[in-house]
Amino acid sequence: MSGDIVLAAKFIGAGLAMIGAAGAGVGIGLSVQGALEGMARNPDTYGNLFTNMILGIAFSEAIAIYCLVIAFLMLFVL
Amino acid sequence: MEKTRKWRWGTKRWIVLGFIILSVIGVNLIKPVQPHIQVAPETITETLFTLPVIGDFKITNTMVAMLLGDIVIIIIAFLVKRGVNKDTLAPKGIAGAFEMLVDSLYNMTESTAGKYAKKVFPWFATIMIIVLFANLIKLLPGFETIGFLHHAEHGYQVQALDGNWYTVINEKAEGEGYIVTPFARALSTDLNFTAALALIAVLMTQVIGVQAQGFRYFGKFLNFSTMFKKPLLGFMDFIVGLLETISELAKVLSFAFRLFGNMFAGMVLMALVGVMVPIFVPSMIMMFELFIGVIQAFVFGLLTMVFMAQATQGHGAEEEHA
Repeated sequence: MSGDIVLAAKFIGAGLAMIGAAGAGVGIGLSVQGALEGMARNPDTYGNLFTNMILGIAFSEAIAIYCLVIAFLMLFVL
Repeated sequence: MEKTRKWRWGTKRWIVLGFIILSVIGVNLIKPVQPHIQVAPETITETLFTLPVIGDFKITNTMVAMLLGDIVIIIIAFLVKRGVNKDTLAPKGIAGAFEMLVDSLYNMTESTAGKYAKKVFPWFATIMIIVLFANLIKLLPGFETIGFLHHAEHGYQVQALDGNWYTVINEKAEGEGYIVTPFARALSTDLNFTAALALIAVLMTQVIGVQAQGFRYFGKFLNFSTMFKKPLLGFMDFIVGLLETISELAKVLSFAFRLFGNMFAGMVLMALVGVMVPIFVPSMIMMFELFIGVIQAFVFGLLTMVFMAQATQGHGAEEEHA
């Protein structure tokens, strides 16, 4: 009985951990929006903006990846 | 006037359709089994030797993937060397492709790091190429599917094939069953590899910072310079320096977990989709994995390069620009 409750708590915890990915999604969307608007206004800045956009995406994505790692820890390790 | 191409039934779509039908038949013959997923890489040998402090040395299946990737990189290096040594101005084939890659990477480094590009570029290119091959080599068929059989509590039944080979069938065994420990597993799904690369990248960032600025580089972390002139704001500067130290340590974590998390998520996704929708959808997932692998290799290298370029510029240089 107690084992079942622990298993259920693991799954619920993994699901709750992934809520943090919503924030990363918003962040990635905003950074790409800004970069694309800049590129549309001034196409010459494409190369510079693209590099910086990838950097920004990588930083915001890291937050989602932390959530994912926590979820994996709950599902497969604990 | 351009000739409009008539729409005709090509041959390639028939090949794709044939593969889809083949996969339908194959899935009905041998039902896919949900693989056992674990975070730590599986060991595939017994203890080879024991080191005094570190402990037992065993070969894991990610090491096999690393050896395969290294062999591919070395072969490509020899091919590129042979292609470049010929007396043609523009190398052809694989040498030309790598010249284009290295050239574009070097231009990118030069536009960010300026005169330190020669110091930063080897780390950037090395890390990027090894992560690229580590991510791409897992797309080979047989990775994560062919391996040793192991006893396990919640295992599956096996069916004998030719010789000493068995296939796992999708029926739960009563009592003790078998699970597969693959021979080779994607290198980036091993936290040891990503953490080692992250440590190398961050340590060399410090080394390049010291080479560029001398011991003024550490002034960024222990900032006493303004403390006695302007007491309140100087103390704030000192706190900011401590925060810089913490963010330097957090770089290691974020480097290691970004690559590991992305590739491990890909592995889990592949395993789950391969069981739930075994027809056609896994090919799309594989294409997505190819994309993610290339992007993550690029991001790892690019972040290393940008951090190194930042370390070469002190605070004074920034103020001159502003």
